[in-house]
Amino acid sequence: MKRITIDPITRLEGHGKIEIFLTDEGEVDNVYFQVPELRGFEKFCEGRPVEELAQIVTKICGVCPGCHHMAAGKAIDAVFGLEPPPTAKKIRELFYMAHFVHSHIAHFYALAAPDFVVGPTADPAERNVLGVIGKVGKEIGTEVLKQRRLAQEIQALLGGHQTHVVLNMPGGVRKGLNESQRADIEQKAIGFIDFAKFSLKLFEDVVLSNDTYVNLILDGPYNLKIHSMGLVDENNKVNFYEGKVRVVDTVGNEHCKYAASDYQDYIAERVEPWSYLKFPYLKKIGWKGFIEGQDSGVYQATPLSRLNAADGMATPLAQEAYEKMFKTFNQKPVHATLAMHWARLVELLYSAERMLELITDPDITGKDLRAEPKKIVGEGVGIVEAQRGTLTHHYWTDSKGLVTKANIVVGTTNNNAAICMSLKKAAQGVIQKGVTVDQGILNMIEMAFRAYDPCFSCATHSLPGQMPMIVNFRDPKNNIIRSISR
Amino acid sequence: MEGQGQNILIMGIGNEVLTDDAIGPKIAKELGRQIKDPGIRFESVALGGLEIIELFRGFEKVVIIDAIKTRDGIPGALYLFRPDDFKETLHLSNLHDVNFLVALELAEQLGIKLTSEIYILAVEIIEDLVFSEEFTPELAKAFPGILVEIKEFLYNELNISEFKTVESKA
Repeated sequence: MKRITIDPITRLEGHGKIEIFLTDEGEVDNVYFQVPELRGFEKFCEGRPVEELAQIVTKICGVCPGCHHMAAGKAIDAVFGLEPPPTAKKIRELFYMAHFVHSHIAHFYALAAPDFVVGPTADPAERNVLGVIGKVGKEIGTEVLKQRRLAQEIQALLGGHQTHVVLNMPGGVRKGLNESQRADIEQKAIGFIDFAKFSLKLFEDVVLSNDTYVNLILDGPYNLKIHSMGLVDENNKVNFYEGKVRVVDTVGNEHCKYAASDYQDYIAERVEPWSYLKFPYLKKIGWKGFIEGQDSGVYQATPLSRLNAADGMATPLAQEAYEKMFKTFNQKPVHATLAMHWARLVELLYSAERMLELITDPDITGKDLRAEPKKIVGEGVGIVEAQRGTLTHHYWTDSKGLVTKANIVVGTTNNNAAICMSLKKAAQGVIQKGVTVDQGILNMIEMAFRAYDPCFSCATHSLPGQMPMIVNFRDPKNNIIRSISR
Repeated sequence: MEGQGQNILIMGIGNEVLTDDAIGPKIAKELGRQIKDPGIRFESVALGGLEIIELFRGFEKVVIIDAIKTRDGIPGALYLFRPDDFKETLHLSNLHDVNFLVALELAEQLGIKLTSEIYILAVEIIEDLVFSEEFTPELAKAFPGILVEIKEFLYNELNISEFKTVESKA
């Protein structure tokens, strides 16, 4: 057995890579973002009983297994032509709210807050959750861990396991809730609401009261004027589990609104030779390139776009927070990329409130948990909102229910073009002639894609962990003139 | 997850359906079949991050088995890291919250007592970008030897002589 220190000779292979092409004047000409790709998921699914996919897809990604489980569950319902009974749907949504609570807490405190609480150009060694706690206090750190853990406990209770979830069955769920479990989750939901309110207050105190940060959000190189996508209910309010996908254009007019089964009429995908990931775009507009504006086919599917695409939130406190956010910007839709962090906290509050609604609904302890399969339709689409964007699962089966084909459009893939464009704008904004490119500058570029909470584990179907990243700077002749890595 | 009377955690990390990336979970499961000791918990998980703190609570010793891809590495080669000399394996970092070392430091700062006896065993792999339940031929061939080497490590380095083993039927 070798005992080694891994750096520098054994850096991991499979880096994420940002290629920045500079002009003769030393300014940014173009930026390409590349990540490795996983292959063969569709082939892996072929020949399996479709009901197995709800469990298999949780292994696509350890970060958002609950999202894949939910989208798969809905697609499988459609394959069997089933509509789950109300109790089953509410238990599914309850699980899903816990998934959102734990994920949004983790992203805000571990990934977003360091840039604002510690500072965007601070020493990388301090720009992490430890630095955040150093500034705001250990009590908050303890509370972050506690609230995350409580949300995970709900997922484990309902899903059998917090990551390898086995909740969904065709037409419903495997098990229900008893009164004792219900009462426990109710108390947790009340605590989540308080913590979400606290987190929004913290955002206001730390970010919105700091002119530098406000200017960075409003006037920095972090704006991208593209269309907005999100799932909405029958009242056009944000919904993560159920509804129709709505897209509003860059000025807020409805571009389209479609049911899950119709997604291929509205979304198409493009392949670029320099990227492993596909680039989805709005089919009715067409692919016009990596351009902003009303004529662009590029859209985003993020917490911010969900709020942009909706007419409001379906719970009262989240609605207040929603109104406050748009009033502050004095416009809708908002195109400030860093406002995604604010939108994520509005969603955190919604998730907690919705959880309380569901857990106090008399149906939640009902015994009717499943509709029995009686036929095989042979094709089904399931759409949910993942934390990182609209997630689509589409399965085809033969007459026995064995999978013949599968297609998955994950949240981050929706945002592939937007992320590339945001990176380019950020790089153009912070790299000027004569500016020394250091880790602080690199972080300000990374902030552009970190806001999207990208899950390349899903998007590339890979689990690289914290992606080893190389940034290459190239001159107009394609020569690498500098590399920064982490 | 608390120790619940168990004082050793042996945890395989990886994706069980991603060709060689499954090495950690498969070894942990095989060890669990072969080693019958009520003081040891065997787990297979998909990633680390803040979750590490919850996973490690209550254990006196933790052994992590993960995959690693290094430049010019030999498939099946086994590396041992301790937190002091660790930088990254495939899963002990986390794009979505914090990396392994930050998680340990966070626990310490918050007064959460976690063991310092942490051993990271990383297995050199070839393929982790293709979905499959089978290893690559090279890793499949190396698997029995890797298992023996890890068992020797558990017996010798951790000085856990009270292991009671049974023959695997796998």
